[in-house]
Amino acid sequence: MTFDDIKESAAMAVATVRANKLRSSLTILGVAIGVVTLTFMVSIIQGLNKAFAEQIESLGSNTIFVSKFDPSFGRQPNSEELHRKDISVEDAEAIRTEAADAVESVAPIRRKIAADLRYAGKETDTPVLLGVTPEYEFTLSQYVERGRFVVDADNAGRENVAVLAQDVVRSLFPFEDPVGKEIKIEGRPFRVVGVMEPLGNFFGQSRDNSLYIPLSTFDKYWRDIEPPVVVFFIIIRPHTRAHVQTATDEITDILRRRRQVPAGVKNNFGVSSQDSLLDFYNQLTGATWLVLTAISFVALMIGGIGVMNIMLVSVTERTKEIGIRKAVGATRANILWQFLIEAVVLTGLGGLAGLCVGEVASLLMNRYSPLPAYVPLWAILVGIGISASVGIVFGLWPAWKAARLDPIEALRYE
Amino acid sequence: MESPATIEPRALEHGDLLAHDAVPAALISMRDIWKTYEMGEEPLHALRGVSFDVQRGEYLAIIGPSGSGKSTLMNLIGCLDTPSQGRYWINGKLVSEMDDDELAHIRNKEIGFVFQTFNLLARATALHNVELPLIYAGISSADRHERAKNALSSVELSDRMMHRPNELSGGQRQRVAIARALVNHPSLLLADEPTGALDSHTSIEIMNLFERLHAEGNTIIVVTHEPDIASRAHRVIAIRDGQIEKDEKIR
Repeated sequence: MTFDDIKESAAMAVATVRANKLRSSLTILGVAIGVVTLTFMVSIIQGLNKAFAEQIESLGSNTIFVSKFDPSFGRQPNSEELHRKDISVEDAEAIRTEAADAVESVAPIRRKIAADLRYAGKETDTPVLLGVTPEYEFTLSQYVERGRFVVDADNAGRENVAVLAQDVVRSLFPFEDPVGKEIKIEGRPFRVVGVMEPLGNFFGQSRDNSLYIPLSTFDKYWRDIEPPVVVFFIIIRPHTRAHVQTATDEITDILRRRRQVPAGVKNNFGVSSQDSLLDFYNQLTGATWLVLTAISFVALMIGGIGVMNIMLVSVTERTKEIGIRKAVGATRANILWQFLIEAVVLTGLGGLAGLCVGEVASLLMNRYSPLPAYVPLWAILVGIGISASVGIVFGLWPAWKAARLDPIEALRYE
Repeated sequence: MESPATIEPRALEHGDLLAHDAVPAALISMRDIWKTYEMGEEPLHALRGVSFDVQRGEYLAIIGPSGSGKSTLMNLIGCLDTPSQGRYWINGKLVSEMDDDELAHIRNKEIGFVFQTFNLLARATALHNVELPLIYAGISSADRHERAKNALSSVELSDRMMHRPNELSGGQRQRVAIARALVNHPSLLLADEPTGALDSHTSIEIMNLFERLHAEGNTIIVVTHEPDIASRAHRVIAIRDGQIEKDEKIR
């Protein structure tokens, strides 16, 4: 098989495809649908993965999250988890002092999901209320933009001071500087001391609709509200990325000891790093991957059967042609390649068409739907590769049938 | 003469021409060729021990009524089929022992076919049809074009190269087929009822072309049932009941 032979076979294949336009386009359509399904599925999953990874990154680099229970992605915590002993500020203190070799900073946080917030009679979309310590800024890499953040003196004096995030500023102080103004949180007066830098979105949810007050002030008013309305958690920043595992291990040891968990019993608290979040996410999407791959595979199979069908028809129709070619010296290999290349041309065109449609669909999806989509280069190459393989797999039997024809009988065929 | 029904293929005896014997000098050399088809219970002997030689430059006609084994013989000469027994050399090559792909190469190199129904590729131009044997001979596309054009010119079709078969008359189609048969310079031009689908005027034209090709040195075998066509040849082999009935030089 020389390059010239392949070129010749490809030219013949294209001529045949053009001679049977309707039949060829229907076959191509079948393969295209399979490839569209494949690209579309891949692009959705890839888009989700990419978005998730970016979001996780945006949370700050390599922080560790400690709470009463592991983050539970949409699932309600069960009653055992809800009735666990709370993680406390003292736990945070213990981690800070005992795990200092691995831990850079520790930020204990108490959060109320929604707080009533008013200024001069104006009300805002209920923001997230966070009770924090000065370590918050560095630990989460979220910094104040104007004014100042919560300082140690605020916590020591349980001061009624607040730092606002961008969304709150936009809705309550569209035309004036909020710093120094008095606002009311759940009816209690607070003085605005600073404004946070914009933080952007996390999975479509604004992270700028929050309000920061000293942790001790939070505890003064709202400490005893039950989870999940109010929850306490600790964010820990290890020295470097390399310290994530050591820090996680040390924190686990400290908490097990402080919470008197006997050896061999499961943790009664949650420690998770971004890596474990990613692991969890990958587990979740792994199953989806399988299902979507199976669906795409079935779609491609159907396309492939279409190709096989059409190639069998084509071989029968062209029996005489095969006889002529054999009479003038075509070997079985020549005929085999001719029909195989024809099948690959059909599926290849289907693959290209499918990729184009898939690409357009994922662009539209990015534009008009909240689901992110993304077609990586490898998916394009795999798409073309797979559609060509479909041609080879499903074209082989018809091509072999053609190659085996007896020249005398083939010439006699009308 | 024994009645045909009692003749059976015999085992090789001492003195038969064997593969390691001297390769015959003739272009075509057939020795005791049998072709048997297993159809139902009775084996059907289409050829019963046919032997003959054809020298280079001969113009031979093979005649016989339908069912005589004439077509079977033609398929064997054309290397489209192999004999059940016997040996067949073409141009010094023992083709009776070859497999399908080797036969394909022999057909490509040694034989140019001309068929009754032309057997051109319907969707291809005259030029491409003539190029076809060269494609399978592995000749580069520039050479192919050149040689196909020359072959078409030699049958006076230079002005019809880009026409498809359905745009050509019967005579023109048969000339395209002849150009295709000649393009790879085969040892043998093998024609099967070449005028069977043509009117008498065009038939004469084609037979004149065969005569010219013979005069130019080509070896030609024409298989026909028409005495007129056979009479143009220089030698006639008559086949009946799978055997050579008559083999005579007529010119």
